[in-house]
Amino acid sequence: MDTAAASSGTGAVVARGRTVTGIEGLDNILNGGIPRGSMVLLAGAVGTGKTTLSLEYLIRGAESGERSLFLSVTEHTAKLVENLATFEFFRSELVESGALVLVDLPDIYTRLGLDREELSSEEIFLLTKAILDLVAETGVKRCVLDSLTSVVYRIHRDEQIRDFLLTLSRGLNRLGCTTLLTSELASGQARYSTHGVEEAIVDGVILLGNASRRGDILRVLQVVKMRGTSHSRAQYVMELTPIGLLMAPHLKGNSPEGT
Amino acid sequence: MADAPNGPIFGLAPLDRELAPKLPSGWLGLLGGSTDTETSLLAKQFAAHATREGPAIFYTTHEPTEEIQVAFDGLGRASDTVRIVNLSEEYFQSVLSRRLEVSRIRERGIQLADLKPSDAPPTVRLPYNLTNRFLSDLAGLDRPFRLVLDSLDFLIEVLDLPEVMTIARQVRHRAQAFASPALLVLHGETHERRVSGLLEGLADVVFELSAEPEGSDGDHRLKVRKVRNHPEVRRTTRLKVTSKGFAPAKDDAS
Repeated sequence: MDTAAASSGTGAVVARGRTVTGIEGLDNILNGGIPRGSMVLLAGAVGTGKTTLSLEYLIRGAESGERSLFLSVTEHTAKLVENLATFEFFRSELVESGALVLVDLPDIYTRLGLDREELSSEEIFLLTKAILDLVAETGVKRCVLDSLTSVVYRIHRDEQIRDFLLTLSRGLNRLGCTTLLTSELASGQARYSTHGVEEAIVDGVILLGNASRRGDILRVLQVVKMRGTSHSRAQYVMELTPIGLLMAPHLKGNSPEGT
Repeated sequence: MADAPNGPIFGLAPLDRELAPKLPSGWLGLLGGSTDTETSLLAKQFAAHATREGPAIFYTTHEPTEEIQVAFDGLGRASDTVRIVNLSEEYFQSVLSRRLEVSRIRERGIQLADLKPSDAPPTVRLPYNLTNRFLSDLAGLDRPFRLVLDSLDFLIEVLDLPEVMTIARQVRHRAQAFASPALLVLHGETHERRVSGLLEGLADVVFELSAEPEGSDGDHRLKVRKVRNHPEVRRTTRLKVTSKGFAPAKDDAS
């Protein structure tokens, strides 16, 4: 699902193609979708819907003919498939046919012999290359790394994190793959990533959080940054339903929590 | 030591007769020699003479198990009465073969087919630890034994020295606890003097096997370089190689 890059006959403006997320409301917020080939940080505390949103993004893509890849660090992919069965929009055939590829990142660690707690520069390069090789081999146009936090936990120097993300971003962009990286935030954390380096490198930041309204805790979404497109910076209430995520404007006057 | 608790050492009559009564029960021996002096054969001969102590356990770090079995059969000890633990094969299968595979994947680049199917259950596997592997086996010994570790060279190659010394000390401790003799083989010329010095200090008895020049009456010399508290029994025995292993040369056979 790619809105074609529009070009004028005079060549004055060439708009980037969009990856239409297929998530109700989000594409409107993004003025048509995520610019093709972008790398976007999906930041939020525990339980704010990062994994759910990223899985729906992939499933909607796979349904529309864009092969999609989910790289899971913390949750075993077999368990993920079980959890996905609760969504009405998910069909197991997507996984069986290879339209939706689920990979456990620890398996890549094992195959590459990345056993040490702290990755060396060479090992970071190997990991980056492995992800890019998989994207190139499978021809996926959508990728999710869940979570970036778990990966950068093993990269101790800021400059190494920067190099990792820059190399990954350039490679994925060259392959035309639009990528979401989930970032786990502590409740009340001021920045959008563990080291602060990540949010500066990525093309976009979508912040997920909680807000209270009359005693209820609501999930909220806010696009903080998105290069290559105009977008709303308003906060939206995000509801998780069996038919997918639903966005609605967040009425003013509520106090945010965990954002 | 009035009542000698020890059985034959290598089955070399004059040496055994003189030396065995002077060794404490549960002694630790260090057998040195260059790599071309058949130290492994003499170590097997030591294991083959396990009698009153209980089972013989032979840890090898460099020979195929089948060859060791053939050698024991040749020494007159049924190989199925010796427990052979091949640490090098285990190490190869657990560590080196994986390194080979990792190198292959790193060089070629990862492919989707290299990754497990996503419905496979997650596995938790501890990395192979040679020290733990050996010590857990040692801890499982629950009765007297006769133990050979042939050789320490491999351990020194892949482990840090304190780990090697831990292993040697644990062997000594278990040997004392079960009044069982143990022999560690070390090819001395390949290591720093400090390493062999530490191991010699730990051993109750230190043997050194050397080859005689061609044309001599005997083929080898076995020198007892150290006997703890009994320097008077240090001696050199000339040996010849027979179809049944080492035997005293003529003038040492009395």
